Amino acid sequence: MLREKIEKHLLEIQKPSRYIGGEVGSVTKDKSKIDVRFAFCFPDTYDIGMSHLGMKILYSLTNERENYWCERCFAPSLDFEKIMRENDIPLYALESLDPIKDFDFIGFTMQYELSYTNVLNMLDLAGIPIFAKDRTDELTQIVVAGGPCVCNPEPLADFFDIFILGEGEEVNLELMDLYNDMKKKGASRLDFLREAAQIEGIYVPQFYEFFYKENGTVDHIETKENAPAVVRKRIIKDLDKVYYPENFVVPFTEIVHDRVSVEVLRGCIRGCRFCQAGFIYRPFREKSSDVICAETKSLCENTGYDEVSLASLSTSDHSDIDNMLTKLIDYTENERINLSLPSLRVDNFSESLLEKIKKVRKSGLTFAAEGGTQRLRDVINKNVTEEEIMNTCRIAFQGGYAAVKLYFMMGLPTETDEDIIGIAELAQRIVDLFYSIENRPKGKGVQVSVSCATFVPKPFTPFQFEPQDTREEIERKQKLLLDSVKTKKIRVSYHDPNVSMLEVILAKGDRRLCPVIYEAWKKGCKFDSWSEHYKFDKWLEAFEECGVDPKFYANRRFEYDEILPWEHLDYLVSKEFFIRENKTAHKSITTPHCRQRCSGCGVNKKVGRECF
Amino acid sequence: MFLIRLRAEFEKKGRAKYISHLDLNRCMLRTFRRSRLPIWYTEGFNPHPYYAFALALSLGFESGCEILDFNLNEEIPFDEVRDRLNAVMPEGMRIVRVWEQKMKITAIKEAEYQFSLVSDDAEKLYGDIGKLLSQENILIEKKTKKGMKTVDIKPDMKIISCENNNGRIDVCLRMPAGTQTNFNPNLFIDALRNFSQTGFSAEKITRTGIFCDNNMKFE
Repeated sequence: MLREKIEKHLLEIQKPSRYIGGEVGSVTKDKSKIDVRFAFCFPDTYDIGMSHLGMKILYSLTNERENYWCERCFAPSLDFEKIMRENDIPLYALESLDPIKDFDFIGFTMQYELSYTNVLNMLDLAGIPIFAKDRTDELTQIVVAGGPCVCNPEPLADFFDIFILGEGEEVNLELMDLYNDMKKKGASRLDFLREAAQIEGIYVPQFYEFFYKENGTVDHIETKENAPAVVRKRIIKDLDKVYYPENFVVPFTEIVHDRVSVEVLRGCIRGCRFCQAGFIYRPFREKSSDVICAETKSLCENTGYDEVSLASLSTSDHSDIDNMLTKLIDYTENERINLSLPSLRVDNFSESLLEKIKKVRKSGLTFAAEGGTQRLRDVINKNVTEEEIMNTCRIAFQGGYAAVKLYFMMGLPTETDEDIIGIAELAQRIVDLFYSIENRPKGKGVQVSVSCATFVPKPFTPFQFEPQDTREEIERKQKLLLDSVKTKKIRVSYHDPNVSMLEVILAKGDRRLCPVIYEAWKKGCKFDSWSEHYKFDKWLEAFEECGVDPKFYANRRFEYDEILPWEHLDYLVSKEFFIRENKTAHKSITTPHCRQRCSGCGVNKKVGRECF
Repeated sequence: MFLIRLRAEFEKKGRAKYISHLDLNRCMLRTFRRSRLPIWYTEGFNPHPYYAFALALSLGFESGCEILDFNLNEEIPFDEVRDRLNAVMPEGMRIVRVWEQKMKITAIKEAEYQFSLVSDDAEKLYGDIGKLLSQENILIEKKTKKGMKTVDIKPDMKIISCENNNGRIDVCLRMPAGTQTNFNPNLFIDALRNFSQTGFSAEKITRTGIFCDNNMKFE
């Protein structure tokens, strides 16, 4: 039995409780009574994957159905992978400890580009053919993917049978229902895929063929098997009525986000031009305060967590935030629960609420300023002014804080050296502010951390057309920033530009990248997002051998009239809007947020109702 | 404030044996919260629920007799406390019994373990165990806070039984445990591995009892 084989080696590896299941809240069923088995795979380790909210929602949702069973599966760490390969232990699901190759669905959530090689590695560990074309004609082992990265799934097209676009709460069950029906009728894999392609939100990549121009850009896309020319993402109309779990699986080992998280809203009104999440999750929809409080209460009671966090792109944009937080804080205080409030703007709260929040917030102070000068912040439509940053810092310093963290991006469109030096100057002004305050924390020096990421242009943003700075240019700017910092009170950290380069290629790439990813994995690339495992030289070899020029994707401006590799996928926001916003950005003009004025992104027309 | 000091004996078996001691702490905190028992919180700058395990159990060991101390703010029948905890315990963990604390943790002197040694040549291994035990001392390297140290486990170790049952040798032994000296049964197993040429694997290491002086059960 597989369980015995696994247990024989569990004490030889780090954190064995990650590989054996049995956690409180995990769902086990009698498999003889199950019609459809779904392996929900996260292409990274348990510690990271278990923190993912989407998995928690879809796990519980699927398991509500008596005859369906959803189980969890994660990428093993290298120590356990070695043992698995040496002892013929196939990748298995944590609830039944059964090999996932025997499941009906093997579903991956694609959260970041650097997890792509892990998908291949997991399929290989499972004993499932890596390429979709090599899988059996029978109706079983359907490999699917969802999550933000599938808004441009083309670099993964050869490995998957189905991509699920948009929110999964409804469409996942529709897909499983169809499978269940057709399986009973003895349908083949192809029969099923043909039918599935007719469901809104389901994209079957093998039914689409890409043709390229001589200059390398897309010429046209042909469809077959009656698949729709354009696939539109799915959305949930009413967030108050959508399924939300009453219980989470509570891990034994500590995970990255080890707490209850309650979803507050979906979408974002802000329209920061670099931010993919801000566009692909539109329209803006919120849960009512009562629902949020009820979900918090049942999750805390059922899991036993003493910490809860609110999940959203921008919690303070909830229309009833004051009332919601007042209610939540009353409950959490009473129950001795810590409430953490990430991504919160404190501009317009009442005095009494501010007092309460002060008691709650113990974590450090962070600002996503993103750009070093006001001009650049206008270009990216990040509506944060220096005055706001300074005001909040003043309040924080007076309240006893002595450390501030600032996030920036480097390599943004229209960026000049002045903008880079501006980052150092802004940090310096915060240092100066600290020492100008009379009742500042005594005996402490101020610490301003500047964290500088490399800008990665993403599909379905106004910056999707933009090239990324070359590695040489990014390295020059990083050096310029370091040279501009004059004090040790400012600490600068930045990303490896080689990692950001791979990110943009995989984000904006097309199907010609599938063999590159395969070759890179063959050469040992996996866990690319872990700096200690990242092998840029192997990736370069893979590009070289496949005859693919990385610069074509990373450093080339995509033209407005060019057919983009994701042009056949409809995320509700129109391409015309992105072009308009791109032009506005280059004029350093901001666009007001959606509550102030509709910016005409096109979502309301497609959904058939106004957002506000 | 009213406070009742309780002690629970619990099992840690099956998948639960892979919960490390550190993780068990977190796990117990959440179990108490799920049970909604009126557990007593420490008073001080950072109040937290008070509970303590008498002995740490090595990762991978099973046990039928782990000890957990905690306090309640209300008097609740012992069986009800047990049932409310068991209703929300993870798979493999189960409270056997709850009672009012009688002895101090410092009264613990020994712990009893059972395990099986499986070998292709159990006959020879069985003989080797006899030879090892007849030695004047059994020296083995032990990891301590100050680094590796050689200890003699012979004087404090008691073999309760050792039988050769068709190729598997079932051992029951007691090792010093508690606040003073703690010897892990793996020390004996390692010593045997160093001593004997016969390859073997140690399986199903289980803690079966916690004792005070004079063979008295810890209550």
